[in-house]
Formats: sequence, C-alpha cells, structure tokens
Amino acid sequence: MLDGLTHLAGAFATFANAATLLNVIWATLIGIVIGALPGLTATMGVALLTTLTYKMAPEQALLVLISVYVGAIYGGSRSAILLNIPGTPANAATTLDGFPLARKGLAGEAMGLATSASVVGTMIGVLFLAAIAPLLAEFALSFGSYEYFWLAIFGVVIAGHMTSFEDALKGWIAGFLGLLVAMIGQEGIHAVDRFSFGTAELSGGIGLIPALVGAFGLAEVMAVMKGRAAEMATKAVDRVVPSLRTMWHYKRTIARSGLIGTIVGIIPGVGEDIGAWISYAAARRASKEQELFGKGSKEGLIAAETGNNAAIPGALIPALTLAIPGSAPAAVLLAAMFIHGIRPGPLIMIEAPDFVFQVVWMVVLATIAMGILGIALTRPLLTILRVPRERLMPIVFVLCVIGPYAITQRLFDVYVMVFFGLLGFALREMKYPMAPLVLGIILGDILDKNLRRALVLADGDLTPFFTRPISAVLWITTLLIILFALPPVRRAATRLMRWDAAP
Amino acid sequence: MQTRPLARADLVTGVVLVIFGLWVLAESYGMPRLEERRINPWTVPGLVPGMLGVVVALLGGVLALRSLFAGALRARSGLGADDVAEARASMRRLFLCTGLCVVYAVLLVGRIPFWFATGLFVFVFIAAFEWHPQDDRRASVRKLAVAAVIAIVSMVVIPYAFDQLFLVRLP
Repeated sequence: MLDGLTHLAGAFATFANAATLLNVIWATLIGIVIGALPGLTATMGVALLTTLTYKMAPEQALLVLISVYVGAIYGGSRSAILLNIPGTPANAATTLDGFPLARKGLAGEAMGLATSASVVGTMIGVLFLAAIAPLLAEFALSFGSYEYFWLAIFGVVIAGHMTSFEDALKGWIAGFLGLLVAMIGQEGIHAVDRFSFGTAELSGGIGLIPALVGAFGLAEVMAVMKGRAAEMATKAVDRVVPSLRTMWHYKRTIARSGLIGTIVGIIPGVGEDIGAWISYAAARRASKEQELFGKGSKEGLIAAETGNNAAIPGALIPALTLAIPGSAPAAVLLAAMFIHGIRPGPLIMIEAPDFVFQVVWMVVLATIAMGILGIALTRPLLTILRVPRERLMPIVFVLCVIGPYAITQRLFDVYVMVFFGLLGFALREMKYPMAPLVLGIILGDILDKNLRRALVLADGDLTPFFTRPISAVLWITTLLIILFALPPVRRAATRLMRWDAAP
Repeated sequence: MQTRPLARADLVTGVVLVIFGLWVLAESYGMPRLEERRINPWTVPGLVPGMLGVVVALLGGVLALRSLFAGALRARSGLGADDVAEARASMRRLFLCTGLCVVYAVLLVGRIPFWFATGLFVFVFIAAFEWHPQDDRRASVRKLAVAAVIAIVSMVVIPYAFDQLFLVRLP
C-alpha cells in the first residue's frame, strides 16, 4: 500500500512542470474538438496524434494521447446534445436524452451536466485503475501459454457478443476476421510468410494503425456523407455551469454508472459506447422517473456520460497489465506505447512500476483540463459545430491519408487504410461491430504463438487446456457466453428464472 | 419467423465467408511444414490460420442458413416514394464521396506533389457537394470561391504544419 503511494508521488513528480500543463491543455482541447465533430472519432484522434507525437518524450507523448482520448469521449456529447448526432460512437446513448433537452431550450444545462458527469465518471474509473491495475498485473504473472490462448478466444467471443447484443453472430464473425487479418505476414515462431503472395509489403503484416484509421476514419467519413445533414437544435444557450444539486440528486445513478462503465471498459475490446448503453439501461430500470427516459431525462443523460467516460480508465487496465486493449482507442494507445518503447503486460509493475501511476496522473490531469475547457469554451465550440460537413470531411480524409503514411513512410499503408475503410463501411452498413475486428487484429498474434507453444509444452495433449484452473475459468465463461447467445438457450434460461421467481 | 431487414445481404455474406474460410483452410494446408528443419510438428505455420479458416467458414454457414430461415429469398417490401428519393440521394452522396477519396488516396497521392493533390482533392470535394443545379450564377461563383479558399488554405497549412511543426514526413 505504502509502496503504491510512493510510486504515485514519484509519478506525479514527472508531470510537475510547465511542458505538461501546456501539453494537457492543447491536447485535451484538440480531443474535445475531435470528439465534437461528427466524422472524427476518439480512435481516429488518438491514431492521428500518435503520428504527431512520434518525436516527443514517451511520457509526454502518452500524456497527449490520453488527453485526446479523454477529451474526445467527452467532446462527442456536444454534437449528441446539439445535433442529435453522436460525435463519437460512445455518445450514442447521450443523444436519447441530450437532444430532447436541447429542444426544450435546456441545451446549456444538458452540456453542463454532461461535463460534470464526464468528469466524475473518469474520476471513478481512475480510482479503479490505480487500485486494480497493480493487482491484475501481479495476477497475470501466473498466466502461461494455455491461459493466453484462452484469453484471446475469450476476448473475441465476449467482445463480439457485447458489441452486438442483438446479433452476437456478427460480432464473432468480425472478431474472427480480425484474427485472420493478424495472420497476414511473417509468423512469429519460424518466420514463414503467410498470405503474403510473394509481396514484401504484405509479409510485413497489416499495421494496426492504418487498419484503424480506415475503419474509424474513412468509414466514418463515408457514413457522415451518406447520412442526412445535421441541424442544430437551438441557437441560444442557457447557463452552462452545472448544477451540483442536480448531480447530488442523482448520486446513486452516478455511482452505478461509474462502476458499470469501468467494468465494461475492462472487458477486452468492449469500450465506451457499450459502457454508456449499459449504464443508461441500468439507470432506466432503477429510475423513479422512467417515463422521462428518451424524452429529456437528466438522469439518462448523466448515466450515459458517466458510463462512457468511466470506461476510459477501465479500458486502460487490461491494456497496461495484459497488453490487451479494453477499447478501440486503447488499442491505438497500446500501439503507441510499443512505438515509444514501453512494454505493457504482466511485467509492467516489475519493469516500470512508476508507469502505471504516471498513466493515472495523465488521466487525472486530462480530466481536470476537460472539465475546465468544456465549461469555459462552450460558445467557441458551438461555432465549430456549425462548419458544414462538405467542407470538413475532405480535410478529415486528408488527415486519414497522412496518419498511416507518417509512421512507416510506406504508400502501402495508405492503401491498407483505404481497403479497411471500404471493408469497414460495408460491414458497418450490414450491422457488424468494428471493435471485435480491431481486437482480433491485436489478439491474433497472441493466439497464434501461444496455441502453438502450449501444444509443444503439452506435446499435443489437450488436457491442460481444460484442466488448469485459470484456463478452466476462461473456457467455461467463453462457452457460457456462446450458449447464452443462442436464442433457444436464452429463452429456456429466462423461463427457468421466471419459474424460480414465481411464488 | 419475421423477416430480418438484412436477410439477403446476410445470405450473400454468409456464402462469401464459407468460400473464404475454405480458401484460407486450403492455403494454410499448403503452407510449408518445414520438415527439413525438423521443427516440432505442433508449430507448423499453417495450424492457427487453418483453424481460423474453419471457424470463419462455420460462422458464415450459420449466417447463411439463418438468413434463409429469415426470408432471404422472399420478395422485399417496397419503400415509399419519399424514402426512394432520399435513398437515391444518399447513395449518390456515398458514391461521390467514395470515388473522390479513392482517386485521391490511391491515384494522386505519391504520384503528384502532395500539396497539389491535397488542394485539388479539397477543392473538387467541396465544389462537387455544394454545387446545386438550381443555383444562379452568383451563388455558384460564391460557392466555387469558398471551395477555392479552403483548398488553398489547406494545401499551404497542412503540409507546413506536418512537415515543419510536427516533423512528420508526407507522401
């Protein structure tokens, strides 16, 4: 415990300087603007800034990226409230009550509540980050190849299920396609080319950042241009300073949403958007004013905005301790950490114990900046939202081209971006979630190496895969998720529960 | 069984996935086994991709079967006249946007100077989307002028910012 506090204090010292202050402010501001603009998502923002911070010192670069991440998830609430268009997928649940509030002339109050809910949500998540990450890292030290194999399968299955509740099959298809994408290029044990068809570029594999910029950048541009043009709900803005009394009134909702958001964030690949939806659904179920939900409920707005921001620190927990991202933007952060020579994973608390706490401070600093900037810059941000999409989207796409190229200086990566943009758009139109695909691309290598290593260790015997305790927990959970996604099983289970509940 | 809106698309995707999965399996089967290097047979490179190919083919098969039960082969319900007009307009916007983006990223970037490609792309994109057949001469000229100004600003500012401030190389 005392050890943790020493590291926490040590980590703070790293950031007690003017450069930090400057970086937090500009990066959070850029994040808010990126989030607020439909067509620019948090994932895309973090990916773009990864290229721009390439030359910075590692801790400052990651500070910038985390600030953009926090800012963007919050910034998306602006367009959700004012335009009825979620600025990032994470703010989809915010539109349900945010936009009706704006229609009633309460846009300012809605924005103020969204700001304070986001601040509190991130802070709840960060407490868990500081408390859980060191423990999880220690626990993960006991993972062997068998466990990592199951973790990869579990990650894809649960992400596929949770990002596509209505239709888990499509989530799983996206996830397994992602795993297959990771098979392209030289494999990690014998350096044999797979699916490269004799081209040097493909044998280097598919880069995560070009694929992400395509799936979250170009696909988003296409979706924005295909949809109807947005209309601002209101021109006048009432007071934006959040009412603390309202926040206190909904303290239970806030605590519940913060907890749900964090837990959802921790689940591999399942990020802010699902955190917001589940928090929203839970708030509605428990609410005394259920009839207001969807018609301008402040409680609903607070639940969604607390839930999505709490998922940010949540998503960082597995990224830091297992090198498995909890969300799509966290996947980019993970890639950025590797670029800057930081090796997240179970050894992080041994190799760089300060780093986890540095991340804690990064999130805290970004959250403070987000709260202040969000309230102070309400009116300038309104002007940005008035820029028509026809003028904004070409610039966004130019950035989509620069981002992937800047890291490797290969035109091939620009083509990869275009390919994944077109594929991602087609899949999205057919209701396939993107997050499991991204997670699959990261988990593919883990799956490939660990399955083969485990088979060598056991000499082809499959029993250890099922009998080792942690493996058993993982495969049984995976199996249960698959079973419960099958409609007949789910119906039978519901019937059984009702039968139990009957007097 | 109710008709799912995407049943037909699902049927096609399912069949494509089955074929793709089987192709992956065949490719993986044909991958080098490295017997000459005497590697442990459990570490052959084709093992995991082959397994994934089987899983994708299975999931694709389930998707295709499910869409058949959901009425993939039944006639589609018609759309209202307003919906048809909006659907057509949105498809037109989509194809225009996709076409311009692909031409810029695949054909222009890397072949002509980046600043010029960018300026051209931004100008054409804005002009194409803001142009309206009902506009009078003055409105059209004004729209073109706005597009030109944004294009010129972006072809100067973007390369400068990335090249000089962020020290990032451009295509």
